[in-house]
Amino acid sequence: MKRPIRWTVALTAALALFAGLVLLPFWLVLTGSVKAPAEIIARQPTMVPHSFTLDHYAKLLAASDYPVYMMNSLIVASVSTLITLLLAIPAGYAFFRMSFPGRETLYRAILLAYAFPSIVILIPLFGIFAKIGLIDSRIALVLVNVAFALPFAVWLLRSFFAGIPAEIEEAARLDGGSPFIVLRRIMIPLVAPGIAAVAVFAFVTAWTEYVFASVMILSDAKRTVPVGFSGIIGQYQIDWGLLLAGASLSILPVVVLFAFVGRWFVAGLTEGAVK
Amino acid sequence: MGEVTLRGVRKSFGSTEVIPPLDLSIEPGEFVVFVGPSGCGKSTLLRMIAGLESPSAGTIEIAGRDVTHAEPADRGLAMVFQTYALYPHMTVAQNMAFGLEMAKVPAAERAEAVRKAAEILQITELLDRKPRELSGGQRQRVAIGRAIVRDPVLFLFDEPLSNLDAELRVQMRLEIARLHAGLAATMIYVTHDQIEAMTMADRIVVLRKGVIEQVGRPTELYSDPDNIFVAGFIGSPRMNFLPAAITGQGQEGHVLVDVPRLGLSGLPVPLRDPGVRQMGEVTLGLRPEDFGHPETGDRTVELTAEVVENLGGTAYLYTDAGRDAAIVAEVPRRALPSLGETVSFGLRAADCFLFGPDGKRL
Repeated sequence: MKRPIRWTVALTAALALFAGLVLLPFWLVLTGSVKAPAEIIARQPTMVPHSFTLDHYAKLLAASDYPVYMMNSLIVASVSTLITLLLAIPAGYAFFRMSFPGRETLYRAILLAYAFPSIVILIPLFGIFAKIGLIDSRIALVLVNVAFALPFAVWLLRSFFAGIPAEIEEAARLDGGSPFIVLRRIMIPLVAPGIAAVAVFAFVTAWTEYVFASVMILSDAKRTVPVGFSGIIGQYQIDWGLLLAGASLSILPVVVLFAFVGRWFVAGLTEGAVK
Repeated sequence: MGEVTLRGVRKSFGSTEVIPPLDLSIEPGEFVVFVGPSGCGKSTLLRMIAGLESPSAGTIEIAGRDVTHAEPADRGLAMVFQTYALYPHMTVAQNMAFGLEMAKVPAAERAEAVRKAAEILQITELLDRKPRELSGGQRQRVAIGRAIVRDPVLFLFDEPLSNLDAELRVQMRLEIARLHAGLAATMIYVTHDQIEAMTMADRIVVLRKGVIEQVGRPTELYSDPDNIFVAGFIGSPRMNFLPAAITGQGQEGHVLVDVPRLGLSGLPVPLRDPGVRQMGEVTLGLRPEDFGHPETGDRTVELTAEVVENLGGTAYLYTDAGRDAAIVAEVPRRALPSLGETVSFGLRAADCFLFGPDGKRL
């Protein structure tokens, strides 16, 4: 369809506006992290850095606990993602494939988990974790993260499984595949985009989780980036360079994850199967 | 060699009975076609034989073994789906070898089986491609190849050609027929297309609402249908059905019939079962191709051409614009009538079929 030129201009302008709203803060953080301290707090902000220094990064990695926080966050987020996937894939498949009493009700009910703000369950959960000795343990964070990511993950994966034509599964059954083999060899490769989406969702949720991490973790050595990092800020003064360098680095794992799973987001994976 | 025996097989979904108890026996090496309009239960019947649906009652035997409750993979059969159902993330070779891999056949043997099947189907050059890189006809070949490599006792085809265009359909039809001749395996083929049934089958099973209307060789169904449904379903264009009345008994199992639409009275039509005593309202069936040259036949009838369909090789004359009441007659292509022209045809009483008010053949 041919579009009038004024529409093209208007759409491009609108797109640029929203892109700017999203991208400008990132730009300021990234460029700020390499500016000299005086330029960061200059009255007239500079869009393009006039000075260049890696001092903030050096200080962050050498003189603070940031590397420890980073490692904690990586462990917690990776393990949370892995467990979420290990549980959500069979659960999503079961919700799609098996018929059991109350399936539809349960399927609709799982999203109710998001009806409660995390703050509401924080105190009872703290009580439970205190009783079983999970306070100040990274396991507690993994449990919480998995519990929060799982309902959406199951819900999303079921709809991905439902998008696979029934004949493909039937053909695999006729070929002699056991349910586990059919899941592993046929179904999982076909829902790879869904799995990638769930992995990114679970990782980012865990990576950015603040409330539980700030309450459940007591010792500095077990803090994750969001909590530990906020400690860096307030200790004596706000070191803007350090803050911006830390913020820039904390984006890195998520960017790497996206780059890694991006190739799974291939449209039309089932194309050619039927019709 | 496979042999399929269904005894009292019944299927209901909830309270809806799709297939009332049904018996059927298929001989080894036979090519049997299940045909019927959509929703007649033919696919459900096939899926029960495949093991993808379990019958509500009755037993299914394949090669003398009761497989009613056996897993699909343990029935020694292979199935080709209407939608091909290839594994999209695997190459053609992997698609074809998957079943053998599941059966723990060594890799070298698998490769050999795939190569042989690919040669039979002439898809050797496609083995490394993914399904999305193939055309519809090629995909269907791969789906058939996947069935062949497993060397099953029984092949099941579920409307395998209905997604293909007309030309390819004819080609694949011949190919499947050739395959059947070459493999000498038992095949069950489901279709709603009576031409596929007529051209490919050793025996046709005509189904309607889950009930077998008639089983027989294609020529039997065509020339000796059991009821009005089979008579109307087999043959294209379909048989003409005209209201008629039996007015009396003729000699040697003939009855005298009046057909007002054709202006005939006292036509001596032979009965299939001379013992039947039926009077009054009946339906007379007459195939379009049985309208002959006016100088042949027992009687002459006149039809006015409202529409003439010229197919090149042959042509059809239609009377009456109202489609339901239209009479269709084949006309020789060298004597195409013009519109509105009245044409004379000769009609042989022996070509007429009579059906009772319940649709049964008289």
